[in-house]
Amino acid sequence: MTGPREWIRYLGLGGLVLICLGLSGLAAWQLVQLERQMRIDATENMIWVFGQTQIEALNLALALSDEAAPQQVQTRFDVLLSRLTLLEGGPQRRFLEDAGISETLAGWRSGLLALDPAQGADPVALRAYVTALVAALRGKASLVMSHEWQIQAARLDRLGHLHRLALASILGAAVAGMGLATILIDRERRLMKGRLDRLRAEKLAGDLERERETSENHRRFADLIAHQLRTPLAVIDSAMHRLTRRGTDPVPPELISEKAAVSREAVARLVKLTDTALMMSRLERDAVLPHLSAHDLRDLVTSVIDDLVVTAQDRDPSRIRQQAQAAPMVALCDPALTGEILSNLLCNALLYSPPDSRVDVGVSQTRTHIVCRVKDRGRGMSPEEIARAFDRFRRGSGHETLPGSGLGLTLARHLARMQGGEVSLTPRAGGGLTAALYLPREASA
Amino acid sequence: MNLRHRITRIALIAALVLPAVPVAAESVLLTLTGAVTDGRVELTRADFEAMDWHEFATSTSVTDNRPEFRGVLMRDILTRAGAEGSHVRATALNDYVIDIPVADFHRFDVLAALYMDGVPLSPRDKGPVWIVYPRDDHGILADIRYDMRWVWQLVALHVQ
Repeated sequence: MTGPREWIRYLGLGGLVLICLGLSGLAAWQLVQLERQMRIDATENMIWVFGQTQIEALNLALALSDEAAPQQVQTRFDVLLSRLTLLEGGPQRRFLEDAGISETLAGWRSGLLALDPAQGADPVALRAYVTALVAALRGKASLVMSHEWQIQAARLDRLGHLHRLALASILGAAVAGMGLATILIDRERRLMKGRLDRLRAEKLAGDLERERETSENHRRFADLIAHQLRTPLAVIDSAMHRLTRRGTDPVPPELISEKAAVSREAVARLVKLTDTALMMSRLERDAVLPHLSAHDLRDLVTSVIDDLVVTAQDRDPSRIRQQAQAAPMVALCDPALTGEILSNLLCNALLYSPPDSRVDVGVSQTRTHIVCRVKDRGRGMSPEEIARAFDRFRRGSGHETLPGSGLGLTLARHLARMQGGEVSLTPRAGGGLTAALYLPREASA
Repeated sequence: MNLRHRITRIALIAALVLPAVPVAAESVLLTLTGAVTDGRVELTRADFEAMDWHEFATSTSVTDNRPEFRGVLMRDILTRAGAEGSHVRATALNDYVIDIPVADFHRFDVLAALYMDGVPLSPRDKGPVWIVYPRDDHGILADIRYDMRWVWQLVALHVQ
């Protein structure tokens, strides 16, 4: 199972899982980075900061040239000073250094402070100074703007790069995932195919076993039929031989009718044998379907006994005593199949009991079933014999010479079960055997 | 610029600036208009001194390190002025104007700072009043939309 090929496949699978997880993790990390870098800082607002400084310088220049109120000049002076102070703050100063213009702006703030109007400085000198400042600022504004956009463009480049990396990671993870899915699907398909193959093999083995069994049964059946055929054929042959014996006197009519009766009985036995064989064959092909309907089992028993009086005269059917039963015993059954079962059980009782003994037949009911019991006064059967009695071709011990196919009980039980019923054998109290047919009651069906 | 140079510079600036800022108790620092008591409330340095003072250190978007700010809470100022409104329009000495939701002042301890690192804020820097958000205590505040509300040189609030 775990050959080198299998190990290689496991390694490949594990590798794909690692690649898939690793690339997913990488993509997640890159996306987090992307999210962080997407923040905008106020420091990145240098165009505004620088612009405001320019405006304040112009405002102060304007206030001075308009000869505005000293308080107003002072305010504009303070505000311009605050703007220059801001440009000297850490982040702003670094920006200007990066843009290469911090040198040219250095010193303006202290120069302005030295001309503080509150300290009584010369307004004319202040105006000249501010005018120079305005010119210096104007010269650098475009540098500030281009540097800021350089920074922004570089940042967008970084974001784009991160974005592409994340995308590539996700695509890689997807490819690995697809590989994984392919391997798993392939594995599942193999498993399914293996399972199907095993099921098919099991079915084939079962079929073979059943075929072997059937073939064995057929062989035994053929033996049995051949054996059973011999006796009636021998009877007929002997009768014919006697009738056609040459010489002496013409054959007396009594002898003809006697031999004819013997021959007909032999033929009837042959017919019965072939009927049973046919029925078994049809059952094996599942060609028999029961047609269930409500029937009073007492009536069925009566009609079967009537038939037996005609067909089984040699076993003296008049020995059968049907117990009187007033209440109707309605079962849900197929009358033809049930007749076959009853006929079989009664024939067995007649066959396996002394010629002068009684056979009792009674119909009763339980909560769920109608039961017909056939009781004979033969030698009975041991529990082991009962256990094997329903096997095919089993003949009662010591009765191998009696006519019969050895299929009767097998057939009877099979037909009973087809109707939701059962056939069972129990020893009769006081000797002999009780054969019972159970059929579902109409109401409980 | 080395540290020594900077210190000398700051000392020089302080020497020049400090005398120029008259710390007059009666001069108006902040004017509130709009939906406030009698439509106009003027707060002098003495008024500020009379209120509860708070301080915290925070990074800012325009300075290095984490300066220590000291001042009164914006919500205390609005309470004192009897302000009733959802927004304040903050106006600075340098004509910067921006609307700030009053909810900010209740959600965060927003400071109207008068001191940075123990030095009074002057109109020549970011004074007299600088609206300072506790940027380091809430991740959401490290954002341009909040950075825009850090009004320095604050002189007027219009409540609406």
